[in-house]
Amino acid sequence: MADLDLDQLYYAIVDGNAKAAAAVTKEAVDANIDPQTLLTDYMIPAMDEVGARFEANECFVPELLISARAMKAAMEIIRPLLLGKAVEPAGRVVIATVQGDLHDIGKNLVATMLEGGGFQIVDIGTDVSPDKLADAVQTHKPQIVALSALLTTTLPSMKRMLDRLVQDGLRAGVKVMIGGAPVTQDFADEIGADGYSDNAAGAVTLARQLVGVAA
Amino acid sequence: MLQPRDRFIAALERRPITGLVPHFELVFFLTMEAFGKVHPSHRYYSQWGQMEEQERELHRHDMADIYIATAERFDHSAIFIHPNPDNVEETIRLIDIIREKTGDRYFIMRHGDATFSIPDGTQMFTFAERLADDPDGLKREAQQMVDLAIRRAERYASHGGLDGFALCADYCFNTGPFLSPRHFAEFITPYLAQITKAYRDLGFYVIKHTDGNIMPIIDQLVSTRPHALHSLDPQAGVDIAEVKRRYGDQLCLIGNVNCAMLDTGTPEQIAESVRYALRSGMPGGGYIFSTSNCIYTGMPLASYELMLDIWRREGVYA
Repeated sequence: MADLDLDQLYYAIVDGNAKAAAAVTKEAVDANIDPQTLLTDYMIPAMDEVGARFEANECFVPELLISARAMKAAMEIIRPLLLGKAVEPAGRVVIATVQGDLHDIGKNLVATMLEGGGFQIVDIGTDVSPDKLADAVQTHKPQIVALSALLTTTLPSMKRMLDRLVQDGLRAGVKVMIGGAPVTQDFADEIGADGYSDNAAGAVTLARQLVGVAA
Repeated sequence: MLQPRDRFIAALERRPITGLVPHFELVFFLTMEAFGKVHPSHRYYSQWGQMEEQERELHRHDMADIYIATAERFDHSAIFIHPNPDNVEETIRLIDIIREKTGDRYFIMRHGDATFSIPDGTQMFTFAERLADDPDGLKREAQQMVDLAIRRAERYASHGGLDGFALCADYCFNTGPFLSPRHFAEFITPYLAQITKAYRDLGFYVIKHTDGNIMPIIDQLVSTRPHALHSLDPQAGVDIAEVKRRYGDQLCLIGNVNCAMLDTGTPEQIAESVRYALRSGMPGGGYIFSTSNCIYTGMPLASYELMLDIWRREGVYA
């Protein structure tokens, strides 16, 4: 075990090699290496690197998803071990595509990247009503609500979602981040969202800023 | 006197024309507002096969009338049919009815893409896995899709009446392509080139549409030799003036009027987008006026009418 090179875990995730990621993780666990160390020192930094390459147009959605698959393969090995260690996620995110909009590509990408960044995800789907969002916030008590829209015609739904959180007294307890093809920073400012990102990797950086977690 | 179809073809072939720049939309969904009729694509004929032929014929004529009314009212030079039900036989019947009613007045096209588009959210991960784990299988599937589309096109060619295909597989997000340029060159471009060549060889015109920021793959798109490139989406940062400068001598450009402006912009913003598209696209010919997507459900009809008012006044070749 002295030859175990944990950088292999980092590179396996960056390269999207799920088999290698799982093998190195298993070997590390067998060598009694702290699973929290594997997660915070190798796995999350690997996904951060993938996210940075994605933002720089050096890697694209399929590569990003394959890296997420490698991350997941490693996570499946360490998750049972983490359960007994009271490890807190970076934050809990309720994510949804707004009412009237059935598109889920952007939402799913952001959810995948946030999960890779150490967040716990509660995905409540597409075409989500303000009622359903308010219920989810009350039930799951997230730090962040992430809302997506592809259609320009469904942008008003985003405002209605925020209005509903205010109306139910839930707004002060959560940060709201929004994104999607027609969404802009100006629109985010206009409806009172806490942040906006135009891509999935940027959403991770934004989420960390919103909950005060260092990148 | 040239028919709208002739002028549309002249623009596709980048031949000089006089008068109004040709115009069409991939889809005009506001048929309820414009004509009090449900758009053919929004109809669900659950018992089509059980209907008497006479009833089916009434539906076909009703759908054809909507396409024709749209073209006439909004001065479209082309009709992009969306047969419903969507099969070869119904496509042929719909084309025949439109030709019976309008002769060769309009250019008629239908969907004809057979390349991989951006998968939806439920299929995206599976697609990414196949790309990584089974690239040869993915290529076999790409080839099968192309072969099937070419066989269909051969039937349309032997029947007659259809002028071309719009290839509407979307490849790009606002930020850039779904696939890396390297993967695009491997899994899309060869098949797009194949199908475009086959359609051309059968005598069809080919319009390649995709949303999003196409700039990282535009060289590849142009290399497949479509007659025209559609969308040129300003919301994704595509500048029609730049595309015209780089590729205007190789293919016709279609689109660029900002749909977001039509949806939520002021009249001044709409006018600005229309004028930029006309000013950048028209010089030297090879431009067809259009939005950067379509007239979709929920868009104010008045915005589209404003866009057309400006086009009628200012989209005129001397």
